Amino acid sequence: MKLLKAIIRPSKVDEVKDALAKLNISGMTVTEVRGHGKQKGHTAIYRGKEYNVSLLPKMQVEVVVTNTICDEAIRAIVEAARTGEIGDGRVFVLPVEQSYRIRTGEQDV
Amino acid sequence: MNTGSAAAQLDDARRNVGSDILAGESGLSALERYTAYIDRDLQRLYAAAGAVEGGVALVALGGYGRRHLCPYSDIDLLLLFGEPVGAAGEQVLRKLLHPLWDAGFVVGHQVRDVGELDGLEVDNPEFLLALADARLVAGEVALRNRLQAAFDRPAVQAQVLAALQELAEARHAQFSGTLYQLEPDLKDAPGGLRDIAAARTIAAASDPALLRRHGDAAALAQAEDFLLRLRTLLHLERRRNDNALGHEMQERIAGLLAYPGPSSRQQVESLMADYFSHARAVARALERIRRTAPVPLGVNLGRTRDGVQFIDEQRAALHPESWPAVFQAALEAGTPVADGTLECIRRNAGEASLASLLPTSGHRAGLVGMLRPRRGLYARLSEMHDCGLLGRLVPPFRSIVCRVVRDFYHKYTVDEHTLQAVRNLERLITAPDVHPRFSALLHEIDSPELLVLALLLHDVGKWRDEDHAVESVRMAEGFLDELPLPDGGRETVIFLIRHHLQMSQVAFRRDTEDPEVVRQFAVLVGGEARLKMLCLMTFADVGAVSPDTLTPWKEELLWRVYVDAYNCLTRQYADDLIGRTETAARECIARRPADLTDAEVASFLEGLPRRYLQLFDRRTVYDHVRLARDIHPDEVHLRLARAHASWELTAVTLDKPMLFANICGVLSSFGMDILRGHAMTTPGGLVLDVFQFADAERFLALNPGASDTVLHAIEDVVAGRSSAADRLRGRLRGLRRRPSAPVTPIVRLDGDVSRRYTVLEIVAADALGLLYRISRGISERGCEIDLVLIATEGQTAIDVFHITRRGVKLTPAEQQELTAYLQHILEDEA
Repeated sequence: MKLLKAIIRPSKVDEVKDALAKLNISGMTVTEVRGHGKQKGHTAIYRGKEYNVSLLPKMQVEVVVTNTICDEAIRAIVEAARTGEIGDGRVFVLPVEQSYRIRTGEQDV
Repeated sequence: MNTGSAAAQLDDARRNVGSDILAGESGLSALERYTAYIDRDLQRLYAAAGAVEGGVALVALGGYGRRHLCPYSDIDLLLLFGEPVGAAGEQVLRKLLHPLWDAGFVVGHQVRDVGELDGLEVDNPEFLLALADARLVAGEVALRNRLQAAFDRPAVQAQVLAALQELAEARHAQFSGTLYQLEPDLKDAPGGLRDIAAARTIAAASDPALLRRHGDAAALAQAEDFLLRLRTLLHLERRRNDNALGHEMQERIAGLLAYPGPSSRQQVESLMADYFSHARAVARALERIRRTAPVPLGVNLGRTRDGVQFIDEQRAALHPESWPAVFQAALEAGTPVADGTLECIRRNAGEASLASLLPTSGHRAGLVGMLRPRRGLYARLSEMHDCGLLGRLVPPFRSIVCRVVRDFYHKYTVDEHTLQAVRNLERLITAPDVHPRFSALLHEIDSPELLVLALLLHDVGKWRDEDHAVESVRMAEGFLDELPLPDGGRETVIFLIRHHLQMSQVAFRRDTEDPEVVRQFAVLVGGEARLKMLCLMTFADVGAVSPDTLTPWKEELLWRVYVDAYNCLTRQYADDLIGRTETAARECIARRPADLTDAEVASFLEGLPRRYLQLFDRRTVYDHVRLARDIHPDEVHLRLARAHASWELTAVTLDKPMLFANICGVLSSFGMDILRGHAMTTPGGLVLDVFQFADAERFLALNPGASDTVLHAIEDVVAGRSSAADRLRGRLRGLRRRPSAPVTPIVRLDGDVSRRYTVLEIVAADALGLLYRISRGISERGCEIDLVLIATEGQTAIDVFHITRRGVKLTPAEQQELTAYLQHILEDEA
């Protein structure tokens, strides 16, 4: 199993969710996060005054998938979240050793 | 009055009072008879004094007014004249007062004319207190009624109560605050006659029912009778106005009143036991009444420790139009509305119609004014809601009372969500450091009460499950027709309700880094004022979904959309021009009034920024078209009109160098403070400038023909017959320099944001002539000003100029040079 951690634009959450649903991946955790990538934020101007917006609002989508559909899920996220502009985000892939269902205590295979 | 016989008769009358009391008659009735005797003397004097223009009223004050005149008490009188006192009035005064003085009376007299009653609340406190017992002895009833009406004003009543509290404190302090005096002063000591009068005055001025509680009325009446008997005997024994019951007099009076006991010492002990018993009852009653008496706040309204309340609930129940005033008074006093008053409204609100609650436009304007965001607004609206009044005053609100919405986000019923949204606005005022950017925005809104009104109505359509914004608008429209809103206010409220979800959808669901998304949103909003209101509405609305919904993350997204849309509206609108095929322009042409032609309207609009049609309603557009009619190169067509608290100057002309600077200079030379405005130029050279300015010195309001003077001055300067600089120089010489607000001046030029223009933004401390100096500076560097947005936020001027040089954008070197030049001007200013 893999944990996919995608940092994406807030406006792309629904599209990513729909793309994952098409792969029958319905469970996910979505978190509001702030950060910056290579571009380290940008400068905004309000009433003639420049101010630095260094931490940009992003969404973090986390899904756990089986190894068999991992690549497909990554592709779905990347395609759904892409605009082609700087700031589209990242997908991180982490290994998951075990997973348990709290209600029943059973271990996911 | 024959002095000798009058004195003898007076002695007889005084002796009779003493005899009656010793014969067992009550002090009160004996003194009433003596007072009536004095009244008759005064009435005779009045009849003999002759007439005076406007009439005169002879009014008894204080103890004499209460008919408690003791034998050697001063006679306190008010001589109230219908006209200012002239020679004839002086004559009347002499004829009234001299015989009294000759007869040996000590007369405490006040002379006033009715004109002076307007400022009664600032009259001397002792006089105000004495008026509480004013009684007409002789003369004009109408004057007495005028006096009563002036005295009954809440401001006067509040002043009477304040004076009473202060004087009572000072008086009690003279006796170390204790009633247990071995030789008490029957009038002034704690528990004495003055305290009885004070208790009654407080009750009369605040809540007459106070005396009925705890049996105080009876206790005060018994104490008063006892004390008046002692005081009368004391006066007769001492043959003067002496109120101190010393040891010697205690023995004498105890004997006269036949107090039981084998020795005079025991008789005195019995007398003083009675005295202390009565004085204690008086002191307790006064203390209780002082503690619980409401401070008068308005007609039938007072403030107690429990909050603002009706003085007379039965009367209030019959006057539903008085109910909203309770909440207004509570907002102003910073206290809740008392439970009893809420209960009274709750019992009666079910039958109240909007017409009965807000019968006049004044009442309806009062409701709108009450909605201004401030400390306590949420709490007062919640009280109104709890007692059923809010739904009666804002009928659409009734549809969402306890309305449950099932979703994953909302934590409250729709009505409470709405009130929580109002609370979020209130918190921007009361806790400005928590969300400082949004707090600052709220302070920039001209009519923040419209925002609260929109919030109260934004979800009323949620009684339906779908498309609630549309339904909310439908329900709000009829209600808004009933309210006297400022020009454009109704449209603004409707806009905010209709689009209250739009900004959060753009901020949280759309890609705001796409300029087209921001542009479309800016086009929808149309102007900075509405943008600010919609942003604040979104902030308040999202924050009211649940305590955790408006995260710092969402707040940041919302702010970014606001800034991007603001920049779009102020810096990027110049390339977006009105074309003949534009829908809004076609509509404007189609609905033109009969005195205009299609061609006139079309040629006026063509080439103006599209923003123009969003800034001005159609009626104003047509006025502009008329003003532009038959304009020739050397002319400037002007119109000056009032616009609420400020003035609006509209100027139409064909492009001229320094035009904008010259108009600013002339307005400043008359001391006008330019608050906001727009200057627009079409590619064809038509110039439309609209300035809103404040006339702090009221030059236009106070001087007949002043409007023409200003307009002629502008025409002269524009035509080159006089100089704006000279006019302004004279003005500035006579001006005491005000300390500038701590605003660091910003000059920023941007050559990228617009296709056709270099955009210059200036933020600086507002000052007289600032706009003139900036625009003159721009022109002096060879630049043309095509578009200008002027805004003033508090002490800060925020101006955006769209400029070119020789018809094209400025080069980087020219930008640098202009920046340095303007910086220099602004630093000189600071």
